[in-house]
Amino acid sequence: MAVKKRKERAFGGESGNSKKFKKYSNSKGPMKKNKNDTRKKGKGPRLPSALRTELDRLDPKIASDSDDGIDLDVGNDVYEYEEEVPQEESRKNRRFDPVENYDYELPEDFEDENVPSDDEDDDGDFGVGGNKGSRNDDVDASDGDEEEDDERHLRMLQGVTGMSTDAFGGKKKRNSVVISEAHPESEYNPTRDVLEGDSHITLQDLLDPIQGKAGYSKLRKRVQHMDRKSTSVQAPLPKVDREKLERMAVYEHSKKDITKWEHLVKRNREAPTVFFGGDVDLGFSTVGAIASEFEPRTEFEKKIASLVYDDKVMEAHKADGSKLLELNKISEEDYMKHRDHVAKMRSLLFRHEMKQKRIKKIKSKTYHRLKNKDKLKVESAEMLMDPEAAKEQARKQEFKRAEERLTLKHKNKSKWARRILERGLNAQDEGTRAALAEQLHQHALLTRKINTVKDSSSSSDSSSDDDDEGSNEDRASELLEKAKEKTLKVLEDDEELPNSGVLSLPFMVRGLKKRREEAIEEAKLALQEYEQLEGTNDAENSKPATASGRRVFGRANNEVPDSNKKTKTDNKMKMDNYYGNSDSEDDLEAKANVNIEGCKRNDVEKDVGPNYDRKEAADVSIFKNFDDNGDPGSKTTYEVAIFASDSWRKMKSENGVDKNAKKLQQVKEAIVHNKDMEEGEEDSDSEREQMVDGILSSAPKESYELPSQSELIRHAFAGDDVEEEFEKDKQEILNEENPEPDKPVLLPGWGQWTHVQQKKGLPWWMLKEHEDAKRKREESLKKRKDAQLKHVIISEKVDKKAEKLQTKSLPYPFTSKELFEQSMRMPIGSESNPETAIRSLNRPEVVKKPGVIIKPIKFVEMHHHEKSEDYKRSGQKQKKNKSKGASGKNKKQSN
Amino acid sequence: MKVKVISRSTDEFTRERSQDLQRVFRNFDPSLRSQEKAVEYVRALNAAKLDKIFARPFIGAMDGHRDSIKCMAKNPNYLKAIFSGSDDGDIRLWDLASRRTLCQFPGHQGAVQGLTVSTDGSILVSCGSDCTVRLWNVPDANLADSDNLSDNSAKPVAVYVWKNAFRAVDHQWDGDLFATAGAQVDIWNHNRSQPVNTFDWGADTTISVRFNPGEPNILATSANDRSITLYDLRMSSPARKVIMRTKTNSIAWNPMEPMNFTAANEDCNCYSYDARKLEEAKCVHKDHVSAVMDIDFSPTGREFVTGSYDRTVRIFQYNGGHSREIYHTKRMQRVFCVKYSCDASYVISGSDDTNLRLWKAKASEQLGVVLPRERKKHEYLEAVKNRYKHLPEVKRIVRHRHLPRPVYKAANLRRTMIEAERRKEQRRKAHSAPGSIVTEPVRKRRIIKEVE
Repeated sequence: MAVKKRKERAFGGESGNSKKFKKYSNSKGPMKKNKNDTRKKGKGPRLPSALRTELDRLDPKIASDSDDGIDLDVGNDVYEYEEEVPQEESRKNRRFDPVENYDYELPEDFEDENVPSDDEDDDGDFGVGGNKGSRNDDVDASDGDEEEDDERHLRMLQGVTGMSTDAFGGKKKRNSVVISEAHPESEYNPTRDVLEGDSHITLQDLLDPIQGKAGYSKLRKRVQHMDRKSTSVQAPLPKVDREKLERMAVYEHSKKDITKWEHLVKRNREAPTVFFGGDVDLGFSTVGAIASEFEPRTEFEKKIASLVYDDKVMEAHKADGSKLLELNKISEEDYMKHRDHVAKMRSLLFRHEMKQKRIKKIKSKTYHRLKNKDKLKVESAEMLMDPEAAKEQARKQEFKRAEERLTLKHKNKSKWARRILERGLNAQDEGTRAALAEQLHQHALLTRKINTVKDSSSSSDSSSDDDDEGSNEDRASELLEKAKEKTLKVLEDDEELPNSGVLSLPFMVRGLKKRREEAIEEAKLALQEYEQLEGTNDAENSKPATASGRRVFGRANNEVPDSNKKTKTDNKMKMDNYYGNSDSEDDLEAKANVNIEGCKRNDVEKDVGPNYDRKEAADVSIFKNFDDNGDPGSKTTYEVAIFASDSWRKMKSENGVDKNAKKLQQVKEAIVHNKDMEEGEEDSDSEREQMVDGILSSAPKESYELPSQSELIRHAFAGDDVEEEFEKDKQEILNEENPEPDKPVLLPGWGQWTHVQQKKGLPWWMLKEHEDAKRKREESLKKRKDAQLKHVIISEKVDKKAEKLQTKSLPYPFTSKELFEQSMRMPIGSESNPETAIRSLNRPEVVKKPGVIIKPIKFVEMHHHEKSEDYKRSGQKQKKNKSKGASGKNKKQSN
Repeated sequence: MKVKVISRSTDEFTRERSQDLQRVFRNFDPSLRSQEKAVEYVRALNAAKLDKIFARPFIGAMDGHRDSIKCMAKNPNYLKAIFSGSDDGDIRLWDLASRRTLCQFPGHQGAVQGLTVSTDGSILVSCGSDCTVRLWNVPDANLADSDNLSDNSAKPVAVYVWKNAFRAVDHQWDGDLFATAGAQVDIWNHNRSQPVNTFDWGADTTISVRFNPGEPNILATSANDRSITLYDLRMSSPARKVIMRTKTNSIAWNPMEPMNFTAANEDCNCYSYDARKLEEAKCVHKDHVSAVMDIDFSPTGREFVTGSYDRTVRIFQYNGGHSREIYHTKRMQRVFCVKYSCDASYVISGSDDTNLRLWKAKASEQLGVVLPRERKKHEYLEAVKNRYKHLPEVKRIVRHRHLPRPVYKAANLRRTMIEAERRKEQRRKAHSAPGSIVTEPVRKRRIIKEVE
């Protein structure tokens, strides 16, 4: 067991040795002898085989064990192998301690456990082994000390003689032993070897003498323990190296330390603006603060101060103030009274408000209708009772009417009404139609009142118009009948063709006839419609009058189309007459004209109002609904047909006459239209459309064939040869940029009279110069960028003015042309930027206040989340952050 | 029919006060102002020209010393004061506003070589070639206001005599230590007559010393052996040394970037270093035509000022290869010391001709109160100028300076020499095996080695 352990240890030691060897070979050093040890060890296996066999015979058990075992035990028995012994010995007395220190590979406890027992065993062996143990040890020690010298010597001898080292070794040892000591060996008298050797006295040496005495083993154990635990102290490095190492350490440390500033510095550098002395208080900011600090200095100020702060004045001021307060006093009862009164008023007001709110919320129509009726009743009663109230009422009405005239609120102009009309009245349900009609009625009422109010001399007609719905209904049918009558009359009335005058000309006669025929046709159509309408009217009339809305609708519905039809036919006829003839008008026309005159002169048409309006409203509906001919022309020529109470009256509206005279745009249009109408409506329509088309898109004739593109171009540029021109241009530019050399001319005067020049021609150098110049020009022309490009001129002339505005190379901080151009793209002035943006656009890199001391940077820890945020955010936001951070930091600084 | 009506609420057009400006509404549609860029370019050009016209950097000279001014110190706590020490041992306190001497500090036997003021502005430290360090109480700031300036001479609080002559002194920021440079570097406490620490690395004399204002325990020195050395007081040991081809006359730390310092070199250039990477300079600032004698950083850390033996003062950007400004007068001689004022708006130079000179840091800056609208206008013009500064015309005008003839000629000569050198190297490179000659960048070329 012990042997096994020892073996392990020996291996360990060996590996340790080699390791150590490596290390120390690097740093040339104090451990040279170890080197020798290992070398000697390498020599171990080189024992003569004879000796080995002998050893085996002596102690077969050990020999079989291992080589190291041999070495160990041989030391005890055979003197010749003493050289081998020191290795073992030295291990025992801890010569190799430093080795074990460097042995980092092996776990320490591995040896720590085993070693003590091992050594003890060894000691035991030695103690038992021989009575001259101590002596033996001593010798071993001395050998250990001297071993490298011996070793070297031995090797030399071996090299010279070729004999084994053993032979010489023994001899040498013996020699060293021979040198005798004057004194007995003890711890106080170490052997000469010990003293002279380069090693020191080891603890082992000192311990050996007391071996076997009381407490020896204890002491020994302690020593061993100490040995194992203790680390050997290195020889101090030279001062230069030491300082260098220290400096390196210091530098590394301070380097690391100073790196902590990096994020601050980086932030500062990247910030578009750095702020310094941000919140340094430069003094008083408010007037009050300055005033409170004021102290009178000059005489004048002092005088003023003495006056202001005079005790009497102050007292008087105080007294006065209190007096004023006294005057303000009121008795408690009064105050209470006043308060109660206010509270009461408030509560009343509140209640009233609440009531009004409730009433306002009521949606019931009946309620509102009743309410309105009540209101009207009350008003009418008031009107009767009180002339003042009547006046007021009248004024109100007047205002309403004026409003109506201005806004035309009830003329179905609202969005809702328009939409309904667009979709068609027929499509609507009755309620809606009724509502529309009601509106119109309202409008009519409101505007009709104008006449009644304006003209106090109201005719009987007005009253008939004013009457209620029922009578209106009757009147509608009446009117229809009248209209019918009228048309029939027109139909029957065979107008005599004029026999003389311009109109008697055959083409005029033909035209008239034609027109008449048309009119008759129209009249027939109208008649048909009247009949239809009458039918419907009757049907509707049969329904009871309870639903007033419906009734209203029926009336409106009936009246509207018929009146319009009427007007239309009348329009045409009248217009034809108006433009077509001069003298021989039919009676209708004459009547109408008379009516017009009458209308102008005296306000015959008091009752026209509602009709007129109705017609107008119907106008719209007709064009939307019954558009047999959607002729806008008739819209523009605005004519009014008036249903007089007793007779059909056809009149051209004032517009027609007056505007004609004034040559207003409208009338002009009408004229144009009318002219067209002479040739027939459909024709005129189509023609007009064509005309519009002609204006908008000059439509080509159908027979025209499109020429091909190239043909077109050839036609277009028939006269000029572009290519040739371009070539000429290019040549010109080339000549301008690379001018052709001048031809050499005869030198005036030189050899003229001898005609030498004429004979010899030009001097050679001149010709050569010319040639050179020509060649140069050719070359430069060839080098041009557009030399190969036939249709391109690339000017190589530099524009000096433009050059001023360009950089020759990309300026430093920019990495690409685009970036550089980007940097100047947007203007930064106040003309093209809002006030809020300018400030950040124009902010300088360093913002500081004059007269404020700027302190050096102070360290601020940057939080991790802040850092990560910085990374996450991008572009603008980051910048903002940074600048903020910088400012914040500086604030901290100034604090 | 729809009628479009311009609707404007009265609120927007009603002024709160009668003095208020009428509101003007603008349409910022860029298509309406197609010429805006051209307009701004012209404005930039005009601004550049106006800057030239208004460039009046020299404010005044402070006359009073009887010998050349060797060193200056600014009071970190008081804007108006500056201390100056001259070759005849005279120390003066100047009031910059009135440009008068407020106080004198007599006592030095030889030249005053270094001056510094503690951070709280209460103690002035001076050292000189008479082997003494003197501590003075800085007189009260109100002294400037008082009229009796007949003989304001202060007595030193303490005089410490030491073994060797001193060449420079600098005070720690926010501490009570100061460092002197001479045969070795000594760290002193206000209250001790002996240095608390001494560093001695290399045999030659140290000629300048500067504490790092951001990291108060780090200082840098330069020595006659062409080295720049860094020290760390926390470990009380030198840290690193870099040896250059020529001597460094002065060092300045960037107050806003504690890792960076700039060295004013004998070879007409300044070298900005990162203290962590001394193997190459971060930036080489060229323009002087003679040795740079002193350097001082603006408190903003964005600029520094240098004074040179070529009789000029220059202002550089902290990262600019060339100076943005040069100041010179006919009578200004060799500049030995320069300082940037604590509010970063003035520059003070002390020169051989016994005068201190006060300059504006921005030559065309308007002094005095600037109204907000005026300031806005200035800012706008500056921004526009900055935007178009790369265009040739603007660049030319902004860059153009009149130089004294000797400086101009020397600059030309230098340029020629450098060009010739470059050409030579090029040729050598062209005629030798490829790769055998390596052109070192300028930032590395002047550095011999970094010593650990």
